[in-house]
Amino acid sequence: MDIHVTPLDFGKAAVTVLGLSKTFGKVTVLENINFHVDEDEIVVLLGASGSGKTTILRIISGLEHPDSGKIILHNRDVTDLPARERGTGVIFQSYALFPKMNVAQNIAYGLKIRHSRRKEIRATIDRLLELVHLEEHRKKYPSQLSGGQQQRVAIARALAYNPEVLLFDEPFGALDAQIRARLRREIRALLKQIKVPSIFITHDQEEALELGDRVAVLNSGRLEQIGTPFEVYSKPETEFVATFLGAANILDGFVDGRRFESGEVVLDTEQECATLKREAAKLVVRPEDLFLRKPENLTQKYQKLADGVIDEVSFVGAFERVIVKMELPDQPAFVVTRPKTETAAFPLRAGQKVTAGVVRFRILKNPKIQKLGQTKSSATG
Amino acid sequence: MATNPSTMRHVRGFDVVRPLSITVMIAVMLPLVLLPLASIFIFGTSKGLASFWAALNAPEAIFALKLSIVTSFWATVFNVIFGLFAAYVLSKYSFWGRNAVIVTISLPTAIPTAVAGFALLLLWGPYGLLGRLLDPKGIHLMFTAYAIILANIFVTFPLAFGVIKPVFDTMSRSLEEASATMGASRWQTFWHVTLPSLRGAIVSGALLTFARAVGEFGSTILVSGNLASRTQTAPLYIFAKFNEGQVEAANAIAIVLALFSFVIFSILFFARDWLDVD
Repeated sequence: MDIHVTPLDFGKAAVTVLGLSKTFGKVTVLENINFHVDEDEIVVLLGASGSGKTTILRIISGLEHPDSGKIILHNRDVTDLPARERGTGVIFQSYALFPKMNVAQNIAYGLKIRHSRRKEIRATIDRLLELVHLEEHRKKYPSQLSGGQQQRVAIARALAYNPEVLLFDEPFGALDAQIRARLRREIRALLKQIKVPSIFITHDQEEALELGDRVAVLNSGRLEQIGTPFEVYSKPETEFVATFLGAANILDGFVDGRRFESGEVVLDTEQECATLKREAAKLVVRPEDLFLRKPENLTQKYQKLADGVIDEVSFVGAFERVIVKMELPDQPAFVVTRPKTETAAFPLRAGQKVTAGVVRFRILKNPKIQKLGQTKSSATG
Repeated sequence: MATNPSTMRHVRGFDVVRPLSITVMIAVMLPLVLLPLASIFIFGTSKGLASFWAALNAPEAIFALKLSIVTSFWATVFNVIFGLFAAYVLSKYSFWGRNAVIVTISLPTAIPTAVAGFALLLLWGPYGLLGRLLDPKGIHLMFTAYAIILANIFVTFPLAFGVIKPVFDTMSRSLEEASATMGASRWQTFWHVTLPSLRGAIVSGALLTFARAVGEFGSTILVSGNLASRTQTAPLYIFAKFNEGQVEAANAIAIVLALFSFVIFSILFFARDWLDVD
């Protein structure tokens, strides 16, 4: 890359998305999206359908044009370049393999378009077929391959011309649950081996946490939070992130001087957001961070949340799920999951009185305004 | 819930309905379709193969067959290329009046062929809307081979389009998008990705158009002038010879045309899988 013609400097980022906005008619699809993808990094865009994640991918690849904002690929502003001049590798949801070309021809396509030498094309095909373990399928047509094999061809086809970034559009959507779990591990291992920056989009939170070096959570066209899987799961910054990534119990209340208060509930917190000023806040507790004990029998290591009555106990395989009616205003039903060691030591049945304690929890101060106040105040509510 | 009656019914032993329904079907087809076709062959060869060959080798007959093939060929070339283009434009872009255009393209199938020929005369004839401008310049389209091509183009206009358009519509847009992200220009995408997927539709569209054009009579007789060895196509030759009472001459060409249609529709029927093969 010639640095002299590009005054931009976005460090080592492979992809930089700057202030991206897009509306279709009167519908705002994207609102001021900012993030970057480092070299060798996998970023997953996670969101429900209609959250705008596909549009981001299409704008990066050049298949869609943003209303405002910029796309920088390796220090090159490509915002106004057509798709074919960007050099991105898109793996479409349905793979979009060319049906009248065999595997080798599909892989060769990008190089043929670039008028590469025949010898070079053949060497690339050989190398990539070996990489994705499809050597013996070289002459087969896409319709003769399984879904997983087609996907590997799609990846090889995109890798052939050394793309700036690989963009995966819900790549496991068409596969059944067992295969997708295996494939995503395979693909992550492959991407880590070849070190190509990648962006995945998915609506599956488990997939996002397992695949991504970082996960960006999208909600109706806004980027709610971006961080490592651990950060977005353990330190959600908005209620949406907390509830979209895994289950969460939510309690409204206040923060005041390093404490969270809600009626009779008082929890000490070290979290930086708890100031001396009294402010509205929400408590977020993961089901696995709640512990149930006999009434008033909590040990020192837990802070007491509240007393409650067991409403329902159900066995869901690896753990037990318990619904507890808390003795709090409105009697919220909290979900608690308990590992086998717990269920054996302290069996529970419906109607039983318990005390719920917490070890880890998260305080969201002014839940939405905190993150999004600068973009749109009307978004609260 | 609607249940398919044929899967529900259990028949023990011999099922009478099966042979009965097949027999009825063939019995209806026999006088209406099969016997007329058979009679062409029976009469055509009744005086021996020698006289059949002689009738076929008459210079006028050979000319008529050649003229039919040549004019149909050019009409097919034009309609396939234009049909492809129109299908591309109409399934890719949406614009005001798009549906009106689709209906208009399909219209020639519904118009009687004599009306089509008459319409062409009113446009291109010596006193026609455009013909009147061309006439002083010495350009006469009507009553020439060009008139036959124009008539063939008109009556077979929607055929290739009608076969190609649905394939375009169902073709996944992501194939073209994938090609673009891989660096291909529009033309490269069309040539390497879109066109190969249309191969089957193009071949069957061309065969249909050609078969229909070779058999065209109503419009051709109006615009060609029906001049033997000049503007007389094979169907016109059959009509002329029959009028002159030369039934064997008419019959020989009729056999050729019937066989020709049979071959084309056999190809369309049996080659469908081959044409769509990946």
